[in-house]
Amino acid sequence: MNEITLDVNGTPHKVAVEDTTLLLDALRRRVGVTSAREGCGVGACGACTVLAEGRSVSSCLAVAVRYDGTPLTTADGLPEDDPVVSSFVDSDAMQCGYCIPGFVLMTKELLSENPSPNDEEVSDHLEGNICRCATYPEIIKAVRLAAKRSAT
Amino acid sequence: MSAGRVHRPETLEEATALLGELDDVMVYGGGTAIQILRKQGLLFTEDYVDIAGIPGLRDLTVTDDDITIGTLVPLRRVETDPRTRRLVPVAAAAYGQAANPRVRNTASAGGNIAHGDYRLDPPTALVVLDATVHLASAAGSREVAVREFFTDFQETDVRHGEMITAITVPRQPDGSRSSFVKMRSLSENDWPCASAAVLAVPEDGFVEIRMGLGAVAPTTVYLAFDVTPDMDEQQAVEAALDIADSVMDPIADIRGSASYKARLGRVAVEQAVRSSLKELSRD
Repeated sequence: MNEITLDVNGTPHKVAVEDTTLLLDALRRRVGVTSAREGCGVGACGACTVLAEGRSVSSCLAVAVRYDGTPLTTADGLPEDDPVVSSFVDSDAMQCGYCIPGFVLMTKELLSENPSPNDEEVSDHLEGNICRCATYPEIIKAVRLAAKRSAT
Repeated sequence: MSAGRVHRPETLEEATALLGELDDVMVYGGGTAIQILRKQGLLFTEDYVDIAGIPGLRDLTVTDDDITIGTLVPLRRVETDPRTRRLVPVAAAAYGQAANPRVRNTASAGGNIAHGDYRLDPPTALVVLDATVHLASAAGSREVAVREFFTDFQETDVRHGEMITAITVPRQPDGSRSSFVKMRSLSENDWPCASAAVLAVPEDGFVEIRMGLGAVAPTTVYLAFDVTPDMDEQQAVEAALDIADSVMDPIADIRGSASYKARLGRVAVEQAVRSSLKELSRD
């Protein structure tokens, strides 16, 4: 076992993990974060997305020990008035919502790199996230709105 | 990864010693392919050597002649770093089409080629750029031309006890133009059913066309020919298709039959050659 500190949304959590414990499992079972979800398990759907130092990571493919002390952001750590969160809510960009934390975090990363993406750039960045309700048109609208709100 | 021991060396010497001593061992780099293959029940390696703690393996260094990409540099950094975009644009383009942006943040440049899959995007660019792979073992280091690196279906020239430390990529020649085209039959971020990286290098009225083909044969394929001054664009495309046809040997799978992939391979070659030559003619 390894004693590591997972720095989640600014709060340090000391947790014990095996060499092979996935970051997703450490976050859900040891820290209690439930906004990162398992979907496909192979990095293709984005439901397990977290940000590590602002960069998106599929936590289902990442071992927890690699993230000892790394600042992590999960969707539940974002405030309700975060421009991306509020834009997804105001755009009705969800039905069941299972995939939405991943879309929100990918959008945070996109806008931090490219504050005014065109639709193709939005699609390119979100292409690895899958929504089974197919709310994609509203998700694209939400990203456009979030770009506007982030700029003001 | 319920089974499997993980070793975490802090120096290259410790890592190569472990790789030499252990029998059934694999380097753990970005870990994305290893995790997927383990979950799919396709990988049962006993020991993993996690190289994340070794200094220097994440460096991206530029000289007057080339760029050296440390083995742990994420694919997305090759895609987005302003230096790679400027100096080796065909590599930036190909790296930027692998998987999805999130997986590219974690997957490593060295692990990508170590995987050795015939459908990988980055090797198509590395072969046209004549990159060199740096390998280290307890016995020392050696270099292998990437054009010799992919030896057979899912096989590379990495020997037991060795690990990739870096990839050196020569800068694209002055005045050259390039294109990377990826054809997908399933989702946007899936493996290609055919891909082509093309570099067009003008010299004394001739244009050398270098082509790296992915997914249309059991390994990445490298081909080159000269467009002579008397050939127009259409003749250059036909020459490219003839030479590409001679090596195409696609593997049928859920992404298409062998004939479908060969057909799309021709489309990828034609698009990439035309695009590169059109850009050259604008210069």
